[in-house]
Amino acid sequence: MSRFIRKMSRRAIVQALITLPALSLFRSQQPAVDADEVVEINGWILRRSDLA
Amino acid sequence: MIFDSYEAYKQAGFKPKACILGSGPAGTTIARKLGAAGIPVVVLEAGSREFSEESQDFYRGKTVGDFYFDLDITRLRFMGGSSNHWAGWCRVLDKQDFEPKAWAPDTGWPISRADIDPYLGEVHDILELPAFRPDVPVSDDIRWVQLIKSLAVRFGEKYADELDKSKNIAVVLNTYATELAGDGKRVTGAKLWSNGQDAGTFSADYFVACTGGLENSRLLLWSNERSNGGVVPNAAALGRYWMEHPTFEGGNAILANYSEFEVDASNEAFFSPTLAAMERLQILNFGIRLIESPYPNVKKLIADLACTAPNMAEWMSFQLDQRLRCAAQLYVAWEQAPLASNRIELSKTDVDHAGVPRIELRWKKSPLERRTLLEGLRLFGTTMAQKNLGRVRIDDWISNGGDYPINEETAGHHHMGGTRMGTDVLKSVVDANCKVHGMDNFYVGGSSVFCTSGQCNPTTTITALACRLGEHLGKVIAV
Repeated sequence: MSRFIRKMSRRAIVQALITLPALSLFRSQQPAVDADEVVEINGWILRRSDLA
Repeated sequence: MIFDSYEAYKQAGFKPKACILGSGPAGTTIARKLGAAGIPVVVLEAGSREFSEESQDFYRGKTVGDFYFDLDITRLRFMGGSSNHWAGWCRVLDKQDFEPKAWAPDTGWPISRADIDPYLGEVHDILELPAFRPDVPVSDDIRWVQLIKSLAVRFGEKYADELDKSKNIAVVLNTYATELAGDGKRVTGAKLWSNGQDAGTFSADYFVACTGGLENSRLLLWSNERSNGGVVPNAAALGRYWMEHPTFEGGNAILANYSEFEVDASNEAFFSPTLAAMERLQILNFGIRLIESPYPNVKKLIADLACTAPNMAEWMSFQLDQRLRCAAQLYVAWEQAPLASNRIELSKTDVDHAGVPRIELRWKKSPLERRTLLEGLRLFGTTMAQKNLGRVRIDDWISNGGDYPINEETAGHHHMGGTRMGTDVLKSVVDANCKVHGMDNFYVGGSSVFCTSGQCNPTTTITALACRLGEHLGKVIAV
């Protein structure tokens, strides 16, 4: 165990663990796939929804 | 009056004010306009009443550059000219075809579509057409356009009786004007070849060359060479800016409802871009023709689609099982960039039976046109997908930048440019009234005066311009 962890109280460690899921809120959002987007694949000009 | 030789014509003692060279759609229309205005006019037709190999041989020539048709196959040399083999497809150049385009050099006419609109009523009578319907916007980018497939008026057949009975029009067959003489201000006469021999010279107050989109340049180049520039004093553009309508199969489409665009008996429909789309993509005009796919092609298309969009392939397969039409081949014909390098020259080694140098046509398609083909198909495919009207597959040779196939339509047999209309004497040969720059009595009719080609078949516009020139010339001569 590192010196840093040894210096932390048990309470601080628990609070840090509780906070972890909230961090995902700050991650950049992946753009939603637009089913109507027009794409060109193998010479075909299709809607993305056609690829399903 | 119709004469079978120049000798017979001379004996009739007819005194024409104007001489028209060629009896195709332009020549016949101008002659009829002048005749109706009471102006005596003679039409010199190099061929006879019917096709002959002997006459056709005068049209042999050579092409340098891209693959093109034999020059004695792509046009006809007898009464009625190339109207004797045209397909009858009719549409007038679009308003946008007359406008200059910043992204395509040397585009733009000195006249607008509004200048020929007043003559379209006459054109409909001449070509026996119903009224055109307006274009239908499919999206902001694509228009559903109409090409009327008419019965293809053969001018020689249709007007033979009228011309024969006319007191003001004399048609002289088998009489070839091999060269014009000029003094830099006026055409002073024509040297003739009739029924296989020299027939002397001929003069009239006015001359109009209507010998076709290849032959007009040949006649003027040769005449100018022989008269030291006396026929076309400003000849920098003579023979240049020659254009065709390249035509190739560009891909396939599957259609949600084939009959949605059905416009003619052969189930074909036509689409073109809007000016805004052309400007945004910096491309030229084009026409996409949907032709119903034969059964084996549809099966191949389903197999190809199954790898990429299985649900769509399944739907298509179901349609086919129901014997429903669901697929079309896409043929693309496009506007060719007007380039000075695409030109008609006189052969230095080969002459016809009358001693006139044959044509050497230098013709190549440009990168701008290649982009027009690819982006045009993408534009059409995007509209079809966005509007859920169907799906498009672009042929691999186009997507991958491959060579043009040589076993396809190639072009429309539409010969345009060479004596183009304009105000700049360095880039044009005739003015807005089709009068040769610097000349007082010499005019040119036909598609050789086209500044740009647009995407549609030229005969309707040729006929409209001929009506306009006939009316103008009638006023000039009457003064």
